[in-house]
Amino acid sequence: MALTDSSRRRPRVSIEGVGRQYDSPQGVVQALEGVSFGVEAGEFVCIVGQSGSGKTTLFRIIAGLEDATSGTVYLGGDPVEGPGPNLGLVFQEYHLFPWRTVAGNVGFGLEKQGVDHEEQERRVRELLELVGLDGFADSYPRDLSGGMKQRVALARALAVDPELLLMDEPFGAVDAQTKRMLQNELLDIWSETGKTILFVTHDVEEAVKLADRVVVMATDPGRVREIVEIETERPRSRSDTSFGEYYERIMKLIRA
Amino acid sequence: MAIDVGDEVNHGDDVGLSLFDVDPRRAIRGAVGVAVFLALWWLVALTQPTYVLPTPLIVAETFVVEAASGAMLTALGSSIVHWFPGAVIGTGLGIAAGVALGWNSYLDDVSAPVVRVLRPVPPLALIGFAIAWLGINHTGAAFIIAVGAFWINFYAAYGGVEGVSDDLLDVARSLGVQGDLELIRSVVLPASLPEITTGIRTGIGRCWMLVVASEIFGVPGIGREILRASNNLRVDVVITYILVLSIMFLIVDTGFRAIQRRVLAWR
Repeated sequence: MALTDSSRRRPRVSIEGVGRQYDSPQGVVQALEGVSFGVEAGEFVCIVGQSGSGKTTLFRIIAGLEDATSGTVYLGGDPVEGPGPNLGLVFQEYHLFPWRTVAGNVGFGLEKQGVDHEEQERRVRELLELVGLDGFADSYPRDLSGGMKQRVALARALAVDPELLLMDEPFGAVDAQTKRMLQNELLDIWSETGKTILFVTHDVEEAVKLADRVVVMATDPGRVREIVEIETERPRSRSDTSFGEYYERIMKLIRA
Repeated sequence: MAIDVGDEVNHGDDVGLSLFDVDPRRAIRGAVGVAVFLALWWLVALTQPTYVLPTPLIVAETFVVEAASGAMLTALGSSIVHWFPGAVIGTGLGIAAGVALGWNSYLDDVSAPVVRVLRPVPPLALIGFAIAWLGINHTGAAFIIAVGAFWINFYAAYGGVEGVSDDLLDVARSLGVQGDLELIRSVVLPASLPEITTGIRTGIGRCWMLVVASEIFGVPGIGREILRASNNLRVDVVITYILVLSIMFLIVDTGFRAIQRRVLAWR
């Protein structure tokens, strides 16, 4: 009996044998080696690791900002060949366009896609509501706090309805309280939009709180140590016994 | 090519009257400074013959005479006829070249040696070319002025474009911006607008200075009047036309600063 493709659910993102070498004065550095895993549609996956585990390099390769020296990243079946609107990027440092208002930032992608004006305005309004920034449409980034800037960046990435939301330490630059708030908001937005999310962080607690699965990276060379499935019901609390167990287990894997 | 400045339509309300929106304490101090300067000038002038240093009053009288006879307006009009096209063309070409070489490293590498040789040449040294190629006329003078504006704007735009963060470009690409021209239009130009507008402003001032130099070889205008008056030892006329230059510079600079503030309202 022939295997039909439709009988297997194809992962939304498929990372296959990705490696990355750099030439340095000390010789060839292997930043990443044989990284393989998939992300299902609608799944929330976190990548955790220490600095030097190549997680940011992996982010850049998945985003198409950097080329792998071996292996391929597939998004919806096609190899990623550069950044494009099927990938929504959110960075730690926000990278908002300072010359555009909040609405102008969120609407940027829609404009470039040639979405008509009324539809743009409607979408921008919806997105600002989604991230809790209605009322700030006409503000410039310089007038926003870090948390608000990151909400704008998230709305901007969501605007073009990407297949995958790819986030690199998005809450690494805000204070602890704002971070918790943003995490909860992200989970709400995720359940509301059903987006597939790949989230890079060095914060194990954050990964356990957010993810369906946690990809634990090992250092030297950067590679996948283990993929841990978090089965605790959401909303998750640090005081849950299972939360602590996952936390300890992942910490041990990282240090191993 | 339109520059994408997002929607800044509703943010210019506070700009119109900014010219007069001066802190009163600073205005008083400024007035004191002007008074002290005039007094010193007057004192020194009293000890000197008029052909060395006329008093402010004599200059004021000469100013009125020159203005009333129409000579001033004629000279000013003539200067503007080469100042304006020279400044506009030099600024436009300078920005275009600066953006192109700042953006494209291949072009930059190819042109770097030539740029480095041409860069230190003072515009005035090119007067020979201006005369030979364009003649002793407005076009020749405009050429000198354009060269001066070109380099200032070239380096301002070049530096601005080089300083545009790669991350912003990555974000723009991830939001569907494709191709160099579209990236330049929607990210590079607006991001480097602070540097570019500063270049334009510096260049405009430089061009007023070059008006005098460009008229050395006989093109009529304010510079020509200054040179002729110098030959006739009419220092009062010299100062009168220097004042005209200063006033023109102030008007244009203030106007441009208002535009700059409006375009950069997001800063």
